[in-house]
Amino acid sequence: MTLLSKVIGAASGIALSCTAISAQAEVLFWSTQAKPVEEAQAMREQVLSGAGDVDYQPNDGGPWITRLNAELSAGSGSIGVLGALHGDFSAMNPDDLVNLDDLGLGAASDTFNNLAKLGTDNTLYVPWMQASYIMAANKKALEHLPEGADINTLTYDQLIAWATNVKEATGEAKFGFPAGPKGLKHRFFQGYLYPSYTNGVVRTFASDKAVTAWEKMKELWAVTNPGSTNFSFLQEQLLNEDVWIAFDHTSRLAAAFNERPDDFVAFPAPAGPEGRGFMPVIAGVGIPRTAPDMEASKALIAHMLKPETQIATLRATNFFPVVDVELPGDLPPSVQAAGNAVAIMSASPDANPGLLPAGLGDKGGDFNRVFVDTFERIILAGQPIEAVLEDQKKTLMRIMEETGAPCWAPDAPSEGACPVE
Amino acid sequence: MTAATTEVVEPSQDTRKAGRFVYVTGVVLLCAWVLVPLYFLLINTLSSPETVNSYPKSFIPEFDLGSLTFFAGFDGILTALKNSVIVAAMTMVMSIVIGAPAGYALSRFEFRGKELFRLLILLTRAFPLPLLALPLAVMFIRTGIDDTVFGLALVHTTLALPFAVLITFSLFSGIPIELEEAAWTLGCNRLTAFQKVILPLVLPGITASAIFAFVISWNEVFAAAVLTIENRTLTAFLLQNLDTSPLHLKFAGGFILVVPALIFIFAVRKYLFAMWGIANR
Repeated sequence: MTLLSKVIGAASGIALSCTAISAQAEVLFWSTQAKPVEEAQAMREQVLSGAGDVDYQPNDGGPWITRLNAELSAGSGSIGVLGALHGDFSAMNPDDLVNLDDLGLGAASDTFNNLAKLGTDNTLYVPWMQASYIMAANKKALEHLPEGADINTLTYDQLIAWATNVKEATGEAKFGFPAGPKGLKHRFFQGYLYPSYTNGVVRTFASDKAVTAWEKMKELWAVTNPGSTNFSFLQEQLLNEDVWIAFDHTSRLAAAFNERPDDFVAFPAPAGPEGRGFMPVIAGVGIPRTAPDMEASKALIAHMLKPETQIATLRATNFFPVVDVELPGDLPPSVQAAGNAVAIMSASPDANPGLLPAGLGDKGGDFNRVFVDTFERIILAGQPIEAVLEDQKKTLMRIMEETGAPCWAPDAPSEGACPVE
Repeated sequence: MTAATTEVVEPSQDTRKAGRFVYVTGVVLLCAWVLVPLYFLLINTLSSPETVNSYPKSFIPEFDLGSLTFFAGFDGILTALKNSVIVAAMTMVMSIVIGAPAGYALSRFEFRGKELFRLLILLTRAFPLPLLALPLAVMFIRTGIDDTVFGLALVHTTLALPFAVLITFSLFSGIPIELEEAAWTLGCNRLTAFQKVILPLVLPGITASAIFAFVISWNEVFAAAVLTIENRTLTAFLLQNLDTSPLHLKFAGGFILVVPALIFIFAVRKYLFAMWGIANR
């Protein structure tokens, strides 16, 4: 009996003392970005060190949105600032985000600033940092480049020929593609393959040109490392040399360049008949309407947009500044390599920049699903291209009609919902 | 000794040998099943990033402490570890304090709706946490136990309770009621009989269900990530950031998550072994 009562006493004692400790003075920065432990550490120690008392907490998408929704429906909360991708913000109800017009902050690009209004007239989040997708290769692969090919002006045909040469020389398929469960393959189709071959994403989804695009994808897949369906961060496969040529998000290639800067090269995504399609990634910072200390939250957002913070963020996360800053010369190898590749890509004469899907609200995930399903059915299951495109077209049309989202670049502008032609 | 008996003994020695061989192989395989992954985890934790990314793997660790040093300097990791231990301990105590009497009642008393009750207990595990977390968080924020280890321990207790009840139910059912009745005739009341006769017999089993509760709480991520912010547990703090981290830090982080749980299980192993009849006191 004495033992039991001791245990109960101890437990309730602990419980009480724990309930009592809940001091709160810091601003809680609730983020889906800079999640890897090294990046989180760098955010805390370098980026946020001069911003006063900030608690930086990076999360998976699930807990991030669940906690946020809980605070919104409870009507009070502890989250001060939200850090997330454009897609995460656009899935929220615009009324839940505080109007940030009075801060007078924004990106150098008006396109980004318009996206940040989420279809309303007010700035609901402030663009925070940007990235893109590029190609990277092991220098050993360079000798197998097809004749006359330059990595900075590569076409999809040359990429396929290159990967074929590597496969013939080494006996292994060494092109890598992030088709794993956490891989960002849908962005490759939405921002790279479709724009390069069809000069559109939604309008041209089931066009003849799209059929050609998927035929090329099939050719490319034949010389792609079959393990790609498990690859989500190509830096790992580049480092262990399962893959010599890779396509991925700049921050998911960074470790390769930082650990062995002399062994890898970065270069623009390839071009198709309709130009060199590519897509930006934008992350933003916003304030939920339940933020406990509005002034502190706004001060933190202002801090994130300062040029020196933007450079510190670049070092920490490999995401580039959204405001005009002069980049110092001593940046990590990954930043230099990726920065160069993105610069060449956007300055190339055949550049065909696309935009992130906009106006889809919480249907963003379904929209991505259409592309992932199409990939799985055509490439992995080997189903006939025309039939799959006709089938998936119906789902895509339904999403566009339900959301009424107008077309975005490179699709030609539309009045009302973007039509699937 | 006659010829006849030796003929009988020989084949039985052979079968005994074969049986022994199967037994030893089985034991070795089972140990390897558990130990080999742990050993690889240890090797990769103590390796430099280059070694972690290269093949073939070496079987001898090179004692590079880079990855572990990184975590040693990681802000908040010690607080998170402390929170994890407190939540797991509270879950353990609460699930036993609530679960064991329920198990006792299920095994000793007849009451209406007993079968339904047993089913309902299992139902707490029928709903996925991502589904429950949102309404729970809303309620916690409103009642003020949001972001406390106590609140989180309550949720984890709910998760661990079915195991605690069902394990203790079968424990109590395994002890004949006659033992208790004998104690009653010798001057004990229900409580003292339980305390002096039944409790010593079921203690190992209760330890086992306590370990279960501990491990369930230790491994739980989603509720912890949603319901705590300042007082994060180690899994909520670390696990969701590991899947996107470089390989060598994944190994080191995994090692840090596994070791405290292993130490705990080692510390209470003698009670466990006692349950399986191997005295080790």
